Amino acid sequence: MMERVFRAIRADIRLHMLSVFSVAVAFVCLSATLLVAVNIDAVRAKWSETGRASVYLDPEVEPQTVHTVRQALLAAEGVTEVRFVSSEQAREEIMGNTKDEALASLPSEAFPASLEVTLKDGAAAERIERLASQLKSLPSVEAVETYEAWGERLDKLLRGGTQAALVLLAVVLAAVVSVVGSTMRMALARRRTEVEVLRMVGATDSYVRGPFVIEGAAQGGLGAFLAVTLIGVLFLIVRDSFSGPLGTLLGTSPQFLPVTFCIALVAFGASVGALSAFASLRRLIENPAT
Amino acid sequence: MQQISADHLQGRLDGPGEEQQAPDELDELPTKAFRPALRGDQRFDRSAAHRDILVFEDVHKAYRADVPVLKGLTTSVARGEFLFVTGPSGAGKSTLLRMIYAAENADSGRILFLGRDVCRLTGSSIPYLRRNIGVVFQDFKLVQNWTVSQNVAVSLEVLGVPDKIVRRRVGEALERVGLGGRGQDRAAALSGGEQQRAAIARAIVPEPALILADEPTGNLDPQLAVDILGLFEDIHETGVTVLFATHDRSLLDIRPRRVVVLDEGRTTDVRAGLSSDAALAQMRAAS
Repeated sequence: MMERVFRAIRADIRLHMLSVFSVAVAFVCLSATLLVAVNIDAVRAKWSETGRASVYLDPEVEPQTVHTVRQALLAAEGVTEVRFVSSEQAREEIMGNTKDEALASLPSEAFPASLEVTLKDGAAAERIERLASQLKSLPSVEAVETYEAWGERLDKLLRGGTQAALVLLAVVLAAVVSVVGSTMRMALARRRTEVEVLRMVGATDSYVRGPFVIEGAAQGGLGAFLAVTLIGVLFLIVRDSFSGPLGTLLGTSPQFLPVTFCIALVAFGASVGALSAFASLRRLIENPAT
Repeated sequence: MQQISADHLQGRLDGPGEEQQAPDELDELPTKAFRPALRGDQRFDRSAAHRDILVFEDVHKAYRADVPVLKGLTTSVARGEFLFVTGPSGAGKSTLLRMIYAAENADSGRILFLGRDVCRLTGSSIPYLRRNIGVVFQDFKLVQNWTVSQNVAVSLEVLGVPDKIVRRRVGEALERVGLGGRGQDRAAALSGGEQQRAAIARAIVPEPALILADEPTGNLDPQLAVDILGLFEDIHETGVTVLFATHDRSLLDIRPRRVVVLDEGRTTDVRAGLSSDAALAQMRAAS
């Protein structure tokens, strides 16, 4: 059977390539959306797992006051670590290895000194908010950022991304069914004599249909594999741009789709391709006499 | 070609379980049930080997109610017989052949092939019927981008015959039809006569019980037509039953064989061939 598959693909190589390319385009959209969603989820997970708060201090604050506030924070319930970041350190962390002149020319007020507070994993939002309001009442504290609003925004973004991925999944499904189905119908039309001959010499339905279904699966699977590979290459190219200051700011490095996701995408492509090919040969199956 | 045993043929009709059995292996298998011919507690009916290979019982067929193609065809074909089927275009020659290999159903009546009514076969049984019948068409029906060998081998590949045996038997079949050494040529590179020979090789390579030839000389010049007829006669000499449908009267005249004439639904069975005076008288009486 595989020999018939290879023979058919060789004979209609352009048609099959076109189909694989079309399927790949559809899968690129889905893979890209999934990639964005996976990274948003990683950031959200990072921020929600570790309760964090940044306590921005008055620029004129005395070191003694900083020490007192730090000790008070360490004594508070749920606080595991308090780290003082001076204005210079903040600039260095943001700048990293970049030599961005615009960033370097910013005044020191743009990088206020802060106390970075780490809370116990899964610290309740109300407790963090209560602590923030207590800190705000201190005279040497200018502002407190608990990142809760950012977490909510990321949640919304993730929900949007998930919805977009679901819509794209439907689009990809329709695209694969349409492309593979059309390709198979065209292949069937071109190979009508072959099918007639097979039926005439006593081939069973599965023997006639088998190569078409395998070709459909190959087109779907190969299209998905190509898309994942392409997204992977693009990810490698742009990864460095995101893993510098942005990575530091977000607290996590860019991640590629998990291997299970990639395998699932290829399996999904192959399955939909096979089913589309099977369905497109329905008429052939319904009329076995000819 | 070796003489086909009845048990061998019945075994091949037996269904999906045999799909992977090579014909050579089938020869050694105990014969399996040939279900419609079962009698009592026998697993198969041995007397089937001595009965007519093909029996038509009051077969009616019409595409339109007012234009019957076959009106009560009742005849039989013995094992190893060579039978011409003739009549004008549209008389129902192809329909008759298509009904034998279950590409068409009769409106009423029975067509018994090896004792089994082909009109009552389920869709899944039809492939196993066709493995016992070689069909040759006017338009050859070769896959043009396949080689000649690939076109011939397909008849054995569907049976699951091992590659080595396929290669040997395809080579033998091509030798028999005069295409030895042409196996690697593309079908498209062959002339019309050669393509028909390749189609005949495809029909005979699985050693079927019956060969149906549907206007096999229709696309060939008169000399090639006679050559092809001669080839069918050679095949027939090995014991294969041949039904040869043609509207070419000249072929019928040069071979005094039994002829079934179809015309406007009527059927005339002329056992002595159309070249005799008695036959003409029979034809006149029938009309």
